[in-house]
Amino acid sequence: MATSSEIIRVEHVGKVFDGGITALDDCSLSISRGEVVAIIGPSGSGKSTMLRCLNLLEQPTSGKVIVDGVDITDAKINLDLHRRKMGMVFQHFNLFPNMTVKKNITLAPVHLRLKSQKEADAAATKLLERIGLADKANAYPAMLSGGQKQRIAIVRALAMEPEVMLFDEPTSALDPEMVGEVLDVMKELARSGMTMVVVTHEMGFAREVADRVIFMDSGKILEVNTPDELFDRPQNPRTKLFLSKVL
Amino acid sequence: MWWSDLFTDMSPASFFNFSFLPKYAAFFNRGIEYTLLLAIVSVALAVLPALMLALMRLSKNKLIKGLSGAYIALFRSTPLLVQLSIIYFGLFGVIRIPRYSLFGFVDLSRFIPGVVALALNSSAYVAEIFRAGILAVDAGQMEAARSLGLSKWSGMKLVVLPQAIKNVLPAIANEIVTMVKESSICSTLGMAELMFGAKNVASSTYITLAPYTLAALIYFCINYPATKAIEAIERRMRRGDKQ
Ligand SMILES: Nc1ncnc2c1ncn2[C@@H]1O[C@H](COP(=O)(O)OP(=O)(O)OP(=O)(O)O)[C@@H](O)[C@H]1O
Ligand SMILES: [Mg+2]
Repeated sequence: MATSSEIIRVEHVGKVFDGGITALDDCSLSISRGEVVAIIGPSGSGKSTMLRCLNLLEQPTSGKVIVDGVDITDAKINLDLHRRKMGMVFQHFNLFPNMTVKKNITLAPVHLRLKSQKEADAAATKLLERIGLADKANAYPAMLSGGQKQRIAIVRALAMEPEVMLFDEPTSALDPEMVGEVLDVMKELARSGMTMVVVTHEMGFAREVADRVIFMDSGKILEVNTPDELFDRPQNPRTKLFLSKVL
Repeated sequence: MWWSDLFTDMSPASFFNFSFLPKYAAFFNRGIEYTLLLAIVSVALAVLPALMLALMRLSKNKLIKGLSGAYIALFRSTPLLVQLSIIYFGLFGVIRIPRYSLFGFVDLSRFIPGVVALALNSSAYVAEIFRAGILAVDAGQMEAARSLGLSKWSGMKLVVLPQAIKNVLPAIANEIVTMVKESSICSTLGMAELMFGAKNVASSTYITLAPYTLAALIYFCINYPATKAIEAIERRMRRGDKQ
């Protein structure tokens, strides 16, 4: 992999929570532009913590996170500026319930003066058309289904025109019949060349869309490989054990 | 008035000897107005300082957090009457307010110290209301805001506070009800609110009990419907949230 195309580098990152729990233990990782990386592993293995360390929603207790050549764990940088490059999609959507769909999408770009309200509205309309929800622009989140909420959460992040999208189990809180519509949006996004890091329990999605799959257990990255290799010929015994349970 | 005769045979100590009313009704009318003015103005003045105290209380900076905590502890752990006396004789012993009369019955030289004391006291309580309201907003809201590149303050101002404030409106309305009652303590410093009116009537007519019975009735008729209305609004808000 050519290092010049690298967008995120994680160097020896560790995270110990206040209670003394070690959630991440010496994790290193490099992600290239346009790459789709899936993170899998058992519950409590540190997948979410890993993802949240990438945009510093969680502050690593050791190591560095380098985004676009800048060490964002450095206290001297303006973190808010660097976070704009990374959109995040949460398990529970986290849409702003007191705002319309359009307001959800345009709030940050307008407040941060990246776009005028008019430009942001036009961009929001385009994004909503892309996911087939243009008619929901003036609806409130409470009026939407889970699948619709998550698709809107995705375009809300896209409205910031990020270079990377981070997903934390985006379909885990959904009714089964709504999983497909969200995965379809993500697949389309992957095809369009977006760099994506996806924590997921959807092994089918990981196999189909990911360029690389990362297996984590007890805070460590235990195996990194292409989906075919990792799913069909897992090397680490714990990967084997995990896959035997979920596949 | 026709009903004045009803009271002629009653003893001065009777619960319902309202024979003073035709002559002294104005004391009560003025008292009600004064009391409502005190309660509403002091809570209104308390809101902004309370919001600031709540945000300070939630700050990571130990000094800022401690200062706000100390203020809240001080005002919640000492009696209002003591606070009122210290502010009236201490603070406003130094700062002299001219004896200017507002609406003809509100003597500013007494009203302002009273309102300041009640507002300082109330801000400690409202600060805790705000703090609880902010903490009740799902942490994911702030995370979503931060992940979009908004600063902590922008996330607070644009996303968290609007949701918190909506949730605490009933509690703040309840604080006004509390203040309607608590402000009766201002009568001790000669503020012409409802309780003061009752005291005045009792001492000028020698009808010792009924003026207070009437004051109690009036307080009740203000606060009970207000409390019920707030509860109803709260129920409707909760139903709205569930949709
Ligand atoms: N805020 C926190 N404070 C303390 N411990 C935490 C916190 N967040 C996570 N942990 C702990 O860190 C470990 C890793 O948690 P993490 O949420 O990253 O796991 P995960 O792989 O995402 O699990 P899941 O599949 O259940 O989402 C767990 O033991 C968890 O209990
Ligand atoms: Mg998780």
